[in-house]
Amino acid sequence: MAFSNLAGAAAIFLAAMSGSAAAQGVAGDQTESPVAQSEIDAALSDTSAAEAVDPWEGFNRKMFAVHVFMDHNFLIPTAKAYRATTPPTARRGVRRFLMNIKAPGIFINDLLQGEIGRAGETLSRFFINSTIGAGGFADPAAQIGIARHSEDFGQTLAVWGIDSGPYLFLPMVGPMTTRDGFGKIVQIGMDPLLYVRTPPADIARYSRAGVGGVSAREQFLDPLADIEAKSLDYYASFRSFYLQAQQREIANGVVDYSGLPDIGEFEDFDELE
Amino acid sequence: MRDALHKFRTLAVGAIAALAIGASPAFADESAEKFVAGILTDANVVFDAPDKPTRDAGIETLVDKYVDMDRVGRFALGQYVRQASDAQMAEYLPLFRKYATSVYQSTLDEYSGERLEVADSVDRSARDFIVDTRVVDAKPGSRYANIIVHWRVYRAPDGKQSIVDAGASGVWLAIEQQSTFKSVIANNGGGAAGIDALIADLKAKVSP
Repeated sequence: MAFSNLAGAAAIFLAAMSGSAAAQGVAGDQTESPVAQSEIDAALSDTSAAEAVDPWEGFNRKMFAVHVFMDHNFLIPTAKAYRATTPPTARRGVRRFLMNIKAPGIFINDLLQGEIGRAGETLSRFFINSTIGAGGFADPAAQIGIARHSEDFGQTLAVWGIDSGPYLFLPMVGPMTTRDGFGKIVQIGMDPLLYVRTPPADIARYSRAGVGGVSAREQFLDPLADIEAKSLDYYASFRSFYLQAQQREIANGVVDYSGLPDIGEFEDFDELE
Repeated sequence: MRDALHKFRTLAVGAIAALAIGASPAFADESAEKFVAGILTDANVVFDAPDKPTRDAGIETLVDKYVDMDRVGRFALGQYVRQASDAQMAEYLPLFRKYATSVYQSTLDEYSGERLEVADSVDRSARDFIVDTRVVDAKPGSRYANIIVHWRVYRAPDGKQSIVDAGASGVWLAIEQQSTFKSVIANNGGGAAGIDALIADLKAKVSP
């Protein structure tokens, strides 16, 4: 299991198959957020974690099964073919290009969250990478110390204090909380390509969706295969990794340790001492 | 004037004392950090081994030495730990050890050829510490560049320290294991029947 990619693997569909690897930066301002706390609370309480965060588990498991079927029969073979036919540097360029064209949406959400400094970073990155970065295929902005971060409207809603709501899984869209599902819909409106109604723009939009999905899947071929092989319950593991990773994304990469459940302070464990 | 100066000095001394008290958990950290640094000294040697079987054997030795598997295994059962019979626990804990060790082996294998070093630590309580580590000399822009590998250190009342969880970038293994195990137990009728189902699943997973 690719350890460093656990967070990314779980967050593979965070951006609705649009090729965004979860930003792995750790810098950023900490934002108070009670997100996915429900899972941790539930882990400590007597109610099943599943009941607390996943009231639609029956439906979600069916959707997950459909997704896994499509994943095995379509996404994984395509992603493997992509890997086999392209050099790593080209794939990295594609990932960077796909990230760069998301910058306007990230910029809007930075502003909506009141993160003026981060909005400036996003804007600088977009201009630097779109110009001397060969249209976004290279990332000179990172070389001069402006690291990428990601935001979407679901995260903005979280920062605004909207509760995450139940967990939802949809085939080919992936895992989300209801808040993030709503965020994804609004996020579509922040896509500049949406407002260019010409045949080339349509082609660009569809190609981006296709390439984005394949590019994202290629990146997580190994970690997800490992998680699937190791897990006693792929659905439950996926849900846990997603919810943990999501919490970190909302906190802008700052890991919050205060919400962790105790390991070893329970009275049941005192007999061990 | 002299009085004012005296008051100021008292305040300053008080402030320094308060700072010192406030900073005192750092001393506790230091011990947890040293503990993890010691593990990393051994682990970095294991990461250097050229073949996977040698690395796997090395990680198993480290896990046996440093990870308190009984504690983690109990945690992974969540509330069901109270419902498990002695016989079930006797069967479950060795299976859990095997299973969790294999998870450590596959997750840590990504660091073969790399070296980890202690970067920071946080006290959650007098007995619960998080030590953050990073890949040494990670190339800017590489996938290792921004990864933080976390180690959860538990300190028993007698001062003995052990690892109870590990994670990367905010995603923890034992928390995932608990979530998954509880799901397996609940979906198999909960209680004794559910725990038996979990044991059967674990057995199937760890059998070669």
